[in-house]
Amino acid sequence: MKEIFKTGAKLAVICAVAAISLGIVNAVTDPIIIAARAARLNAALQKLSLGFEIGELVAVDDGSAVTGYYPLTDAGNIIAYIIKVIGAGYADDLNLLSAISIKGKILSAVLMENSETPGLGKEAENASYMEMFTGKGDGSVIPFRKSQLEHDDADSITGASITFIGIGKALNKASEFAINLGGM
Amino acid sequence: MSYIGIIITFVFINNFILTQFLGLCPFIGVSKNVESAVGMGFAVTFVMALASISTWVIYNYILIPLDIEFLQTITFILVIAALVQFVELVIQKISPALYKALGIFLPLITTNCAVLGIALINVRNDFNAIESFIAGIAAGFGFLLAILLMSTIRVKLDSEWVPKPFRGIPIAFITGGLMALAFMAFDNALLNNLLG
Amino acid sequence: MLKDFTKGIIKENPVFIIVLGLCPALGVSTKVVNSIGMGAGVIFVLLGSNIFVSLLKDFIPEKIRIPSYIVIIASFVTVVEMVMEAFIPALYDSLGVFVPLIVVNCIILGRAEAFANKNTVKSSILDALGMGIGFTLALMLISLVREVFGLGTITLFPIGNFSGVIEIPGISNAPVRVFGLAAGALLVMGFLKALFNWVGELRRVK
Repeated sequence: MKEIFKTGAKLAVICAVAAISLGIVNAVTDPIIIAARAARLNAALQKLSLGFEIGELVAVDDGSAVTGYYPLTDAGNIIAYIIKVIGAGYADDLNLLSAISIKGKILSAVLMENSETPGLGKEAENASYMEMFTGKGDGSVIPFRKSQLEHDDADSITGASITFIGIGKALNKASEFAINLGGM
Repeated sequence: MSYIGIIITFVFINNFILTQFLGLCPFIGVSKNVESAVGMGFAVTFVMALASISTWVIYNYILIPLDIEFLQTITFILVIAALVQFVELVIQKISPALYKALGIFLPLITTNCAVLGIALINVRNDFNAIESFIAGIAAGFGFLLAILLMSTIRVKLDSEWVPKPFRGIPIAFITGGLMALAFMAFDNALLNNLLG
Repeated sequence: MLKDFTKGIIKENPVFIIVLGLCPALGVSTKVVNSIGMGAGVIFVLLGSNIFVSLLKDFIPEKIRIPSYIVIIASFVTVVEMVMEAFIPALYDSLGVFVPLIVVNCIILGRAEAFANKNTVKSSILDALGMGIGFTLALMLISLVREVFGLGTITLFPIGNFSGVIEIPGISNAPVRVFGLAAGALLVMGFLKALFNWVGELRRVK
Protein backbone atom coordinates (compact mmCIF):
# COMPACT_ATOMS: atom_id res chain seq x y z
CA MET A 1 0.00 0.00 0.00
CA LYS A 2 2.74 2.41 1.00
CA GLU A 3 4.58 1.53 -2.19
CA ILE A 4 1.56 2.44 -4.35
CA PHE A 5 1.17 5.74 -2.53
CA LYS A 6 4.82 6.58 -3.03
CA THR A 7 4.71 5.68 -6.71
CA GLY A 8 1.56 7.74 -7.20
CA ALA A 9 3.12 10.70 -5.41
CA LYS A 10 6.17 10.55 -7.66
CA LEU A 11 4.01 10.54 -10.79
CA ALA A 12 2.00 13.45 -9.38
CA VAL A 13 5.23 15.40 -8.76
CA ILE A 14 6.39 14.82 -12.35
CA CYS A 15 3.01 15.94 -13.72
CA ALA A 16 2.90 19.00 -11.47
CA VAL A 17 6.40 20.10 -12.45
CA ALA A 18 5.54 19.58 -16.13
CA ALA A 19 2.27 21.55 -15.87
CA ILE A 20 3.90 24.44 -14.01
CA SER A 21 6.79 24.75 -16.46
CA LEU A 22 4.39 24.65 -19.39
CA GLY A 23 2.28 27.34 -17.70
CA ILE A 24 5.36 29.56 -17.51
CA VAL A 25 6.30 29.00 -21.16
CA ASN A 26 2.69 29.67 -22.15
CA ALA A 27 2.65 32.94 -20.19
CA VAL A 28 5.74 34.06 -22.12
CA THR A 29 4.73 32.94 -25.60
CA ASP A 30 0.97 33.63 -25.55
CA PRO A 31 1.20 37.45 -25.84
CA ILE A 32 3.77 37.05 -28.65
CA ILE A 33 1.45 34.69 -30.52
CA ILE A 34 -1.50 37.07 -30.17
CA ALA A 35 0.58 40.09 -31.23
CA ALA A 36 1.99 38.20 -34.23
CA ARG A 37 -1.51 37.19 -35.33
CA ALA A 38 -2.75 40.78 -35.08
CA ALA A 39 0.25 41.97 -37.08
CA ARG A 40 -0.36 39.39 -39.80
CA LEU A 41 -4.05 40.37 -40.02
CA ASN A 42 -3.12 44.03 -40.24
CA ALA A 43 -0.57 43.41 -42.98
CA ALA A 44 -3.10 41.37 -44.97
CA LEU A 45 -5.75 44.10 -44.61
CA GLN A 46 -3.34 46.80 -45.77
CA LYS A 47 -2.48 44.77 -48.86
CA LEU A 48 -6.14 44.08 -49.67
CA SER A 49 -7.27 47.68 -49.15
CA LEU A 50 -5.64 48.83 -52.43
CA GLY A 51 -4.80 52.09 -50.71
CA PHE A 52 -8.37 52.97 -49.74
CA GLU A 53 -9.38 53.73 -46.19
CA ILE A 54 -10.30 50.70 -44.07
CA GLY A 55 -13.37 51.11 -41.84
CA GLU A 56 -14.21 49.35 -38.58
CA LEU A 57 -14.87 45.62 -38.57
CA VAL A 58 -18.59 44.79 -38.65
CA ALA A 59 -19.25 41.31 -37.25
CA VAL A 60 -21.81 39.15 -39.04
CA ASP A 61 -23.44 36.32 -37.12
CA ASP A 62 -26.22 34.89 -39.25
CA GLY A 63 -24.88 31.35 -39.47
CA SER A 64 -23.64 31.85 -43.04
CA ALA A 65 -20.07 31.51 -44.29
CA VAL A 66 -19.45 35.26 -43.97
CA THR A 67 -18.30 36.18 -40.46
CA GLY A 68 -17.60 39.89 -40.83
CA TYR A 69 -16.56 42.74 -43.13
CA TYR A 70 -14.55 45.96 -43.24
CA PRO A 71 -15.94 48.69 -45.52
CA LEU A 72 -13.41 50.34 -47.86
CA THR A 73 -14.09 54.01 -48.48
CA ASP A 74 -12.83 56.52 -51.01
CA ALA A 75 -13.52 60.11 -49.95
CA GLY A 76 -16.35 59.01 -47.68
CA ASN A 77 -18.09 56.74 -50.22
CA ILE A 78 -18.09 52.99 -49.75
CA ILE A 79 -16.64 51.44 -52.89
CA ALA A 80 -15.80 47.92 -51.73
CA TYR A 81 -15.66 45.59 -48.75
CA ILE A 82 -13.00 43.33 -47.29
CA ILE A 83 -15.06 40.29 -46.40
CA LYS A 84 -14.08 37.61 -43.89
CA VAL A 85 -15.41 34.34 -45.16
CA ILE A 86 -14.93 30.70 -44.19
CA GLY A 87 -14.67 27.90 -46.73
CA ALA A 88 -14.56 24.13 -46.29
CA GLY A 89 -10.99 22.91 -46.66
CA TYR A 90 -9.36 19.54 -46.89
CA ALA A 91 -8.61 19.10 -43.21
CA ASP A 92 -10.13 22.15 -41.59
CA ASP A 93 -11.81 25.52 -42.27
CA LEU A 94 -10.24 27.89 -44.77
CA ASN A 95 -10.19 31.43 -43.41
CA LEU A 96 -10.26 33.86 -46.31
CA LEU A 97 -10.11 37.63 -46.59
CA SER A 98 -11.31 39.04 -49.86
CA ALA A 99 -11.68 42.58 -51.16
CA ILE A 100 -14.88 42.67 -53.22
CA SER A 101 -16.43 45.63 -55.03
CA ILE A 102 -20.01 46.63 -54.23
CA LYS A 103 -20.96 45.04 -57.57
CA GLY A 104 -19.53 41.70 -56.43
CA LYS A 105 -16.22 41.70 -58.34
CA ILE A 106 -13.30 39.97 -56.58
CA LEU A 107 -10.55 42.59 -56.40
CA SER A 108 -8.10 40.48 -54.42
CA ALA A 109 -8.11 37.66 -51.91
CA VAL A 110 -5.80 36.01 -49.43
CA LEU A 111 -5.94 32.72 -47.57
CA MET A 112 -5.28 33.16 -43.84
CA GLU A 113 -5.34 30.36 -41.20
CA ASN A 114 -5.79 26.89 -42.66
CA SER A 115 -4.54 23.34 -42.19
CA GLU A 116 -4.13 22.30 -45.81
CA THR A 117 -1.52 19.80 -46.93
CA PRO A 118 1.92 21.37 -47.39
CA GLY A 119 2.85 21.56 -51.06
CA LEU A 120 -0.74 20.96 -52.19
CA GLY A 121 -3.62 22.87 -50.65
CA LYS A 122 -1.09 25.12 -48.90
CA GLU A 123 -0.10 26.50 -52.31
CA ALA A 124 -3.31 28.55 -52.11
CA GLU A 125 -1.44 30.82 -49.70
CA ASN A 126 0.67 32.08 -52.61
CA ALA A 127 -0.50 35.38 -54.08
CA SER A 128 -0.38 33.90 -57.61
CA TYR A 129 -2.95 31.22 -56.71
CA MET A 130 -5.67 33.82 -56.21
CA GLU A 131 -5.20 35.13 -59.75
CA MET A 132 -7.66 32.42 -60.80
CA PHE A 133 -10.34 34.36 -58.93
CA THR A 134 -9.40 38.03 -59.17
CA GLY A 135 -11.38 40.09 -61.64
CA LYS A 136 -14.17 37.51 -61.63
CA GLY A 137 -17.74 38.17 -60.49
CA ASP A 138 -19.92 41.09 -61.57
CA GLY A 139 -20.92 39.47 -64.86
CA SER A 140 -18.37 36.66 -65.06
CA VAL A 141 -18.41 33.38 -63.11
CA ILE A 142 -16.24 32.96 -60.02
CA PRO A 143 -14.94 29.42 -60.62
CA PHE A 144 -15.62 26.67 -58.10
CA ARG A 145 -15.46 23.67 -60.43
CA LYS A 146 -12.45 22.39 -62.27
CA SER A 147 -14.35 22.59 -65.58
CA GLN A 148 -14.68 26.36 -65.15
CA LEU A 149 -10.90 26.86 -65.27
CA GLU A 150 -8.38 27.39 -68.04
CA HIS A 151 -6.35 24.28 -68.82
CA ASP A 152 -3.15 25.49 -67.09
CA ASP A 153 -4.99 26.58 -63.97
CA ALA A 154 -6.89 23.29 -63.83
CA ASP A 155 -3.55 21.47 -63.98
CA SER A 156 -2.08 23.50 -61.19
CA ILE A 157 -4.78 22.55 -58.69
CA THR A 158 -4.46 18.81 -59.28
CA GLY A 159 -4.27 17.03 -55.96
CA ALA A 160 -5.77 19.98 -54.15
CA SER A 161 -9.16 20.30 -55.79
CA ILE A 162 -10.91 20.25 -52.41
CA THR A 163 -9.06 23.41 -51.39
CA PHE A 164 -9.91 25.02 -54.72
CA ILE A 165 -13.61 24.15 -54.49
CA GLY A 166 -13.72 25.40 -50.88
CA ILE A 167 -12.17 28.74 -51.83
CA GLY A 168 -14.33 29.10 -54.96
CA LYS A 169 -17.58 28.48 -53.13
CA ALA A 170 -16.63 30.78 -50.25
CA LEU A 171 -15.74 33.60 -52.66
CA ASN A 172 -19.06 33.15 -54.47
CA LYS A 173 -20.88 33.58 -51.16
CA ALA A 174 -18.75 36.60 -50.27
CA SER A 175 -19.47 38.16 -53.66
CA GLU A 176 -23.21 37.69 -53.19
CA PHE A 177 -22.92 39.16 -49.71
CA ALA A 178 -21.16 42.27 -51.07
CA ILE A 179 -23.86 42.75 -53.72
CA ASN A 180 -26.57 42.52 -51.06
CA LEU A 181 -24.80 45.08 -48.88
CA GLY A 182 -24.48 47.43 -51.83
CA GLY A 183 -23.11 50.93 -51.45
CA MET A 184 -25.34 51.93 -48.52
CA MET B 1 -21.16 18.36 -42.04
CA SER B 2 -23.77 15.62 -41.85
CA TYR B 3 -22.99 12.37 -40.04
CA ILE B 4 -22.91 10.41 -43.29
CA GLY B 5 -20.60 13.06 -44.69
CA ILE B 6 -18.25 12.60 -41.75
CA ILE B 7 -18.25 8.83 -42.21
CA ILE B 8 -17.46 9.01 -45.94
CA THR B 9 -14.83 11.66 -45.34
CA PHE B 10 -12.93 9.75 -42.65
CA VAL B 11 -13.22 6.27 -44.18
CA PHE B 12 -12.42 7.16 -47.81
CA ILE B 13 -11.58 10.77 -48.62
CA ASN B 14 -9.31 11.52 -45.67
CA ASN B 15 -8.32 7.91 -45.05
CA PHE B 16 -5.90 8.21 -42.13
CA ILE B 17 -3.22 5.95 -43.57
CA LEU B 18 -3.46 6.52 -47.28
CA THR B 19 -3.91 10.29 -47.36
CA GLN B 20 -3.03 11.66 -43.92
CA PHE B 21 0.01 9.49 -43.05
CA LEU B 22 -1.35 8.69 -39.60
CA GLY B 23 -0.81 5.18 -38.25
CA LEU B 24 1.86 4.13 -40.74
CA CYS B 25 3.98 2.12 -38.29
CA PRO B 26 1.35 -0.60 -37.64
CA PHE B 27 0.27 -0.39 -41.30
CA ILE B 28 3.73 -1.56 -42.35
CA GLY B 29 4.59 -3.56 -39.23
CA VAL B 30 1.42 -5.58 -38.54
CA SER B 31 0.16 -6.29 -42.06
CA LYS B 32 2.11 -9.47 -42.79
CA ASN B 33 -0.96 -11.70 -42.31
CA VAL B 34 -4.67 -11.06 -42.52
CA GLU B 35 -5.58 -12.30 -39.06
CA SER B 36 -3.32 -9.95 -37.11
CA ALA B 37 -4.17 -7.06 -39.45
CA VAL B 38 -7.87 -7.47 -38.69
CA GLY B 39 -7.13 -7.79 -34.96
CA MET B 40 -5.08 -4.62 -35.00
CA GLY B 41 -7.73 -2.84 -37.07
CA PHE B 42 -10.53 -3.61 -34.64
CA ALA B 43 -8.41 -2.80 -31.58
CA VAL B 44 -7.50 0.59 -33.09
CA THR B 45 -11.12 1.34 -34.06
CA PHE B 46 -12.27 0.52 -30.54
CA VAL B 47 -9.65 2.72 -28.87
CA MET B 48 -10.17 5.56 -31.36
CA ALA B 49 -13.91 5.65 -30.68
CA LEU B 50 -13.36 5.70 -26.91
CA ALA B 51 -10.51 8.19 -27.19
CA SER B 52 -12.57 10.58 -29.34
CA ILE B 53 -15.40 10.77 -26.87
CA SER B 54 -13.26 10.93 -23.71
CA THR B 55 -10.87 13.57 -25.04
CA TRP B 56 -13.89 15.59 -26.19
CA VAL B 57 -15.36 15.52 -22.66
CA ILE B 58 -12.03 16.45 -21.08
CA TYR B 59 -11.32 19.22 -23.56
CA ASN B 60 -14.75 20.84 -23.25
CA TYR B 61 -15.44 20.31 -19.55
CA ILE B 62 -11.97 20.58 -18.01
CA LEU B 63 -9.44 22.28 -20.27
CA ILE B 64 -11.67 25.08 -21.62
CA PRO B 65 -13.32 26.07 -18.28
CA LEU B 66 -9.90 26.18 -16.60
CA ASP B 67 -8.42 28.04 -19.57
CA ILE B 68 -5.54 25.58 -19.93
CA GLU B 69 -5.99 24.51 -23.56
CA PHE B 70 -2.21 24.64 -23.89
CA LEU B 71 -2.04 21.39 -21.90
CA GLN B 72 -4.08 19.69 -24.64
CA THR B 73 -1.33 17.47 -26.07
CA ILE B 74 -0.08 16.26 -22.70
CA THR B 75 -3.60 15.52 -21.36
CA PHE B 76 -4.73 13.75 -24.51
CA ILE B 77 -1.76 11.42 -24.61
CA LEU B 78 -2.16 10.59 -20.91
CA VAL B 79 -5.88 9.92 -21.41
CA ILE B 80 -5.08 7.64 -24.35
CA ALA B 81 -2.37 5.78 -22.42
CA ALA B 82 -4.72 5.27 -19.46
CA LEU B 83 -7.55 4.26 -21.76
CA VAL B 84 -5.42 1.63 -23.47
CA GLN B 85 -4.40 0.19 -20.09
CA PHE B 86 -8.01 0.18 -18.96
CA VAL B 87 -9.28 -1.49 -22.13
CA GLU B 88 -6.56 -4.11 -21.76
CA LEU B 89 -7.66 -4.89 -18.19
CA VAL B 90 -11.36 -5.02 -19.05
CA ILE B 91 -10.92 -7.27 -22.07
CA GLN B 92 -8.64 -9.55 -20.07
CA LYS B 93 -11.34 -9.96 -17.39
CA ILE B 94 -14.40 -10.21 -19.63
CA SER B 95 -13.24 -12.18 -22.63
CA PRO B 96 -9.97 -14.10 -22.49
CA ALA B 97 -10.53 -15.18 -26.09
CA LEU B 98 -10.76 -11.60 -27.33
CA TYR B 99 -7.79 -10.71 -25.15
CA LYS B 100 -5.78 -13.43 -26.80
CA ALA B 101 -6.68 -12.02 -30.21
CA LEU B 102 -6.21 -8.30 -29.47
CA GLY B 103 -3.99 -8.33 -26.38
CA ILE B 104 -0.59 -8.10 -28.03
CA PHE B 105 -1.67 -5.13 -30.14
CA LEU B 106 -3.03 -2.98 -27.35
CA PRO B 107 0.24 -1.68 -25.89
CA LEU B 108 1.31 -0.64 -29.40
CA ILE B 109 -1.77 1.53 -29.80
CA THR B 110 -0.67 4.20 -27.30
CA THR B 111 2.05 5.31 -29.70
CA ASN B 112 -0.14 4.99 -32.81
CA CYS B 113 -0.34 8.48 -34.30
CA ALA B 114 -3.83 7.77 -35.56
CA VAL B 115 -5.32 7.77 -32.05
CA LEU B 116 -3.78 11.03 -30.86
CA GLY B 117 -4.38 12.33 -34.38
CA ILE B 118 -8.14 11.85 -34.26
CA ALA B 119 -8.33 13.54 -30.84
CA LEU B 120 -6.44 16.59 -32.13
CA ILE B 121 -8.33 16.69 -35.44
CA ASN B 122 -11.69 16.60 -33.60
CA VAL B 123 -10.65 19.66 -31.61
CA ARG B 124 -9.38 21.47 -34.72
CA ASN B 125 -12.69 20.77 -36.49
CA ASP B 126 -14.80 21.99 -33.54
CA PHE B 127 -16.76 18.74 -33.64
CA ASN B 128 -19.49 18.21 -31.04
CA ALA B 129 -19.67 15.04 -28.92
CA ILE B 130 -21.58 12.90 -31.42
CA GLU B 131 -19.58 14.14 -34.40
CA SER B 132 -16.33 13.35 -32.55
CA PHE B 133 -17.51 9.86 -31.72
CA ILE B 134 -18.59 9.18 -35.29
CA ALA B 135 -15.36 10.61 -36.67
CA GLY B 136 -13.43 8.32 -34.30
CA ILE B 137 -15.26 5.19 -35.42
CA ALA B 138 -15.11 6.16 -39.09
CA ALA B 139 -11.39 6.93 -38.98
CA GLY B 140 -10.88 3.59 -37.22
CA PHE B 141 -12.78 1.76 -39.96
CA GLY B 142 -10.73 3.62 -42.56
CA PHE B 143 -7.62 2.29 -40.81
CA LEU B 144 -9.13 -1.22 -40.69
CA LEU B 145 -10.00 -1.08 -44.39
CA ALA B 146 -6.52 0.03 -45.43
CA ILE B 147 -4.65 -2.48 -43.25
CA LEU B 148 -6.97 -5.32 -44.33
CA LEU B 149 -6.44 -4.57 -48.04
CA MET B 150 -2.71 -4.25 -47.43
CA SER B 151 -2.44 -7.59 -45.64
CA THR B 152 -4.34 -9.50 -48.32
CA ILE B 153 -2.02 -8.05 -50.96
CA ARG B 154 1.07 -8.90 -48.91
CA VAL B 155 -0.06 -12.49 -48.45
CA LYS B 156 -0.33 -12.77 -52.25
CA LEU B 157 3.06 -11.08 -52.66
CA ASP B 158 4.66 -13.79 -50.51
CA SER B 159 4.19 -16.29 -53.30
CA GLU B 160 5.57 -13.97 -55.98
CA TRP B 161 9.19 -13.31 -56.84
CA VAL B 162 10.36 -9.89 -55.67
CA PRO B 163 13.88 -8.50 -56.32
CA LYS B 164 15.93 -8.99 -53.18
CA PRO B 165 16.46 -5.36 -52.09
CA PHE B 166 12.70 -4.78 -52.38
CA ARG B 167 11.62 -7.71 -50.22
CA GLY B 168 9.73 -6.96 -47.03
CA ILE B 169 9.32 -3.29 -46.12
CA PRO B 170 10.16 -1.56 -49.45
CA ILE B 171 7.59 -3.51 -51.46
CA ALA B 172 5.06 -2.87 -48.69
CA PHE B 173 5.58 0.88 -49.10
CA ILE B 174 5.30 0.65 -52.86
CA THR B 175 2.08 -1.36 -52.50
CA GLY B 176 0.78 1.29 -50.11
CA GLY B 177 1.70 3.99 -52.63
CA LEU B 178 -0.30 2.28 -55.36
CA MET B 179 -3.24 1.90 -52.98
CA ALA B 180 -3.01 5.61 -52.18
CA LEU B 181 -3.15 6.35 -55.91
CA ALA B 182 -6.37 4.34 -56.13
CA PHE B 183 -7.80 6.18 -53.13
CA MET B 184 -7.28 9.50 -54.93
CA ALA B 185 -10.51 8.64 -56.73
CA PHE B 186 -12.32 9.50 -53.51
CA ASP B 187 -12.55 13.26 -53.10
CA ASN B 188 -14.98 15.94 -52.06
CA ALA B 189 -16.55 15.97 -55.52
CA LEU B 190 -17.68 12.39 -54.84
CA LEU B 191 -19.13 13.48 -51.51
CA ASN B 192 -21.02 16.33 -53.17
CA ASN B 193 -22.41 14.03 -55.84
CA LEU B 194 -23.54 11.49 -53.25
CA LEU B 195 -25.09 13.91 -50.79
CA GLY B 196 -25.97 16.80 -53.09
CA MET C 1 31.66 7.13 -26.68
CA LEU C 2 31.68 8.63 -30.14
CA LYS C 3 29.85 5.55 -31.39
CA ASP C 4 26.78 6.64 -29.37
CA PHE C 5 26.64 9.67 -31.65
CA THR C 6 27.52 8.20 -35.05
CA LYS C 7 25.41 5.03 -34.94
CA GLY C 8 22.13 6.93 -35.36
CA ILE C 9 23.20 8.66 -38.55
CA ILE C 10 23.61 5.68 -40.90
CA LYS C 11 24.09 2.31 -39.21
CA GLU C 12 20.98 2.55 -37.02
CA ASN C 13 19.23 5.31 -38.94
CA PRO C 14 15.81 5.60 -37.27
CA VAL C 15 13.83 6.04 -40.49
CA PHE C 16 15.61 3.86 -43.05
CA ILE C 17 17.05 1.07 -40.89
CA ILE C 18 14.85 0.79 -37.77
CA VAL C 19 11.80 2.13 -39.69
CA LEU C 20 10.34 4.31 -36.94
CA GLY C 21 8.78 7.77 -36.98
CA LEU C 22 7.21 7.21 -40.37
CA CYS C 23 4.14 9.43 -40.04
CA PRO C 24 6.02 12.74 -39.84
CA ALA C 25 8.72 11.46 -42.20
CA LEU C 26 6.13 11.17 -44.96
CA GLY C 27 3.57 13.72 -43.77
CA VAL C 28 5.76 16.81 -43.76
CA SER C 29 8.36 15.90 -46.37
CA THR C 30 6.78 17.88 -49.22
CA LYS C 31 9.36 20.65 -48.85
CA VAL C 32 12.95 20.60 -47.64
CA VAL C 33 12.33 23.50 -45.26
CA ASN C 34 9.54 21.57 -43.52
CA SER C 35 11.89 18.63 -42.98
CA ILE C 36 14.49 20.87 -41.41
CA GLY C 37 11.86 22.41 -39.11
CA MET C 38 10.44 19.03 -38.14
CA GLY C 39 13.95 17.66 -37.60
CA ALA C 40 14.87 20.59 -35.35
CA GLY C 41 11.71 20.01 -33.30
CA VAL C 42 12.45 16.31 -32.93
CA ILE C 43 16.12 16.91 -32.00
CA PHE C 44 15.03 19.35 -29.28
CA VAL C 45 12.42 16.97 -27.84
CA LEU C 46 14.72 13.96 -28.08
CA LEU C 47 17.53 15.85 -26.36
CA GLY C 48 15.24 17.07 -23.59
CA SER C 49 13.60 13.73 -22.97
CA ASN C 50 16.87 11.76 -23.10
CA ILE C 51 18.51 14.16 -20.61
CA PHE C 52 15.60 14.08 -18.16
CA VAL C 53 14.96 10.34 -18.44
CA SER C 54 18.64 9.68 -17.85
CA LEU C 55 18.78 12.12 -14.90
CA LEU C 56 15.62 10.73 -13.29
CA LYS C 57 16.33 7.04 -13.93
CA ASP C 58 16.79 6.33 -10.21
CA PHE C 59 13.84 8.49 -9.14
CA ILE C 60 11.20 7.00 -11.46
CA PRO C 61 9.89 3.60 -10.26
CA GLU C 62 9.84 0.79 -12.81
CA LYS C 63 6.02 0.52 -12.75
CA ILE C 64 5.23 4.06 -13.82
CA ARG C 65 8.16 4.58 -16.16
CA ILE C 66 6.10 4.69 -19.38
CA PRO C 67 3.56 7.31 -18.16
CA SER C 68 6.42 9.35 -16.67
CA TYR C 69 8.35 9.28 -19.96
CA ILE C 70 5.19 10.28 -21.81
CA VAL C 71 4.68 13.28 -19.50
CA ILE C 72 8.29 14.37 -19.99
CA ILE C 73 8.10 13.98 -23.78
CA ALA C 74 4.70 15.68 -24.04
CA SER C 75 6.00 18.65 -22.03
CA PHE C 76 8.91 19.20 -24.39
CA VAL C 77 6.60 18.82 -27.38
CA THR C 78 4.24 21.44 -25.99
CA VAL C 79 7.20 23.80 -25.48
CA VAL C 80 8.20 23.27 -29.13
CA GLU C 81 4.59 23.91 -30.19
CA MET C 82 4.30 27.18 -28.28
CA VAL C 83 7.75 28.50 -29.19
CA MET C 84 7.29 27.61 -32.86
CA GLU C 85 3.87 29.26 -33.01
CA ALA C 86 5.27 32.39 -31.38
CA PHE C 87 8.47 32.84 -33.35
CA ILE C 88 8.15 30.96 -36.66
CA PRO C 89 4.37 30.94 -37.31
CA ALA C 90 4.75 30.14 -41.03
CA LEU C 91 6.59 26.91 -40.25
CA TYR C 92 4.13 26.08 -37.46
CA ASP C 93 1.24 26.43 -39.90
CA SER C 94 2.81 24.29 -42.56
CA LEU C 95 3.69 21.44 -40.17
CA GLY C 96 0.11 21.47 -38.84
CA VAL C 97 -1.01 18.57 -36.70
CA PHE C 98 2.40 16.89 -37.00
CA VAL C 99 3.91 19.20 -34.36
CA PRO C 100 1.81 17.85 -31.44
CA LEU C 101 2.17 14.39 -32.97
CA ILE C 102 5.91 14.43 -32.17
CA VAL C 103 4.67 13.00 -28.83
CA VAL C 104 3.86 9.67 -30.45
CA ASN C 105 6.96 9.58 -32.61
CA CYS C 106 8.17 6.11 -31.66
CA ILE C 107 11.80 7.19 -31.95
CA ILE C 108 11.58 9.37 -28.85
CA LEU C 109 9.87 6.90 -26.51
CA GLY C 110 12.03 4.18 -28.04
CA ARG C 111 15.28 5.96 -27.17
CA ALA C 112 14.06 6.73 -23.64
CA GLU C 113 13.19 3.08 -23.09
CA ALA C 114 16.08 1.46 -24.97
CA PHE C 115 18.93 3.82 -24.19
CA ALA C 116 18.49 6.80 -21.86
CA ASN C 117 17.18 4.87 -18.84
CA LYS C 118 20.27 2.68 -18.76
CA ASN C 119 23.01 5.12 -19.70
CA THR C 120 24.75 8.23 -18.39
CA VAL C 121 23.53 11.72 -19.21
CA LYS C 122 26.54 12.31 -21.45
CA SER C 123 26.01 9.27 -23.65
CA SER C 124 22.26 9.96 -23.70
CA ILE C 125 22.93 13.43 -25.10
CA LEU C 126 25.19 11.99 -27.80
CA ASP C 127 22.61 9.31 -28.57
CA ALA C 128 19.84 11.93 -28.87
CA LEU C 129 21.93 14.12 -31.17
CA GLY C 130 22.92 11.19 -33.37
CA MET C 131 19.40 9.80 -33.67
CA GLY C 132 17.90 13.28 -34.14
CA ILE C 133 20.37 14.20 -36.87
CA GLY C 134 19.86 10.79 -38.51
CA PHE C 135 16.10 11.41 -38.51
CA THR C 136 16.55 14.92 -39.92
CA LEU C 137 18.88 13.75 -42.69
CA ALA C 138 16.46 10.99 -43.65
CA LEU C 139 13.59 13.50 -43.82
CA MET C 140 15.71 15.87 -45.88
CA LEU C 141 16.56 13.09 -48.33
CA ILE C 142 12.89 12.12 -48.76
CA SER C 143 11.76 15.72 -49.11
CA LEU C 144 14.58 16.55 -51.53
CA VAL C 145 13.43 13.80 -53.90
CA ARG C 146 9.76 14.74 -53.48
CA GLU C 147 10.22 18.50 -53.84
CA VAL C 148 12.65 18.38 -56.77
CA PHE C 149 10.40 16.08 -58.81
CA GLY C 150 7.02 17.11 -57.41
CA LEU C 151 7.39 20.90 -57.46
CA GLY C 152 10.65 21.49 -59.32
CA THR C 153 12.04 23.58 -56.48
CA ILE C 154 14.20 23.33 -53.38
CA THR C 155 12.84 25.47 -50.56
CA LEU C 156 15.25 26.55 -47.82
CA PHE C 157 15.21 29.46 -45.39
CA PRO C 158 15.14 32.96 -46.90
CA ILE C 159 18.38 34.79 -46.07
CA GLY C 160 18.88 38.41 -47.10
CA ASN C 161 18.20 38.79 -50.83
CA PHE C 162 17.88 35.05 -51.32
CA SER C 163 14.18 34.17 -51.27
CA GLY C 164 14.86 30.67 -50.04
CA VAL C 165 13.46 28.98 -53.12
CA ILE C 166 15.76 27.45 -55.74
CA GLU C 167 13.95 26.68 -58.98
CA ILE C 168 15.19 23.76 -61.01
CA PRO C 169 15.06 24.58 -64.70
CA GLY C 170 13.29 22.01 -66.83
CA ILE C 171 11.20 20.59 -64.00
CA SER C 172 9.60 23.61 -62.32
CA ASN C 173 7.33 24.36 -65.27
CA ALA C 174 6.10 20.78 -65.60
CA PRO C 175 6.63 18.95 -62.31
CA VAL C 176 5.50 15.39 -61.67
CA ARG C 177 2.89 16.33 -59.10
CA VAL C 178 2.29 12.83 -57.85
CA PHE C 179 5.58 13.05 -55.92
CA GLY C 180 3.97 15.67 -53.71
CA LEU C 181 0.91 13.54 -53.00
CA ALA C 182 0.43 10.80 -50.44
CA ALA C 183 0.99 8.12 -53.07
CA GLY C 184 4.29 9.69 -54.11
CA ALA C 185 5.52 9.80 -50.52
CA LEU C 186 4.92 6.07 -50.03
CA LEU C 187 6.53 5.19 -53.37
CA VAL C 188 9.61 7.36 -52.71
CA MET C 189 9.99 5.81 -49.26
CA GLY C 190 9.74 2.30 -50.74
CA PHE C 191 12.42 2.94 -53.36
CA LEU C 192 14.77 4.69 -50.93
CA LYS C 193 14.45 1.84 -48.43
CA ALA C 194 15.21 -0.64 -51.24
CA LEU C 195 18.28 1.45 -52.10
CA PHE C 196 19.44 1.31 -48.46
CA ASN C 197 18.90 -2.48 -48.42
CA TRP C 198 20.86 -2.87 -51.65
CA VAL C 199 23.80 -0.76 -50.45
CA GLY C 200 23.78 -2.57 -47.10
CA GLU C 201 23.85 -5.91 -48.91
CA LEU C 202 26.76 -4.83 -51.12
CA ARG C 203 28.76 -3.75 -48.07
CA ARG C 204 28.07 -7.03 -46.29
CA VAL C 205 29.26 -9.06 -49.28
CA LYS C 206 32.53 -7.13 -49.33
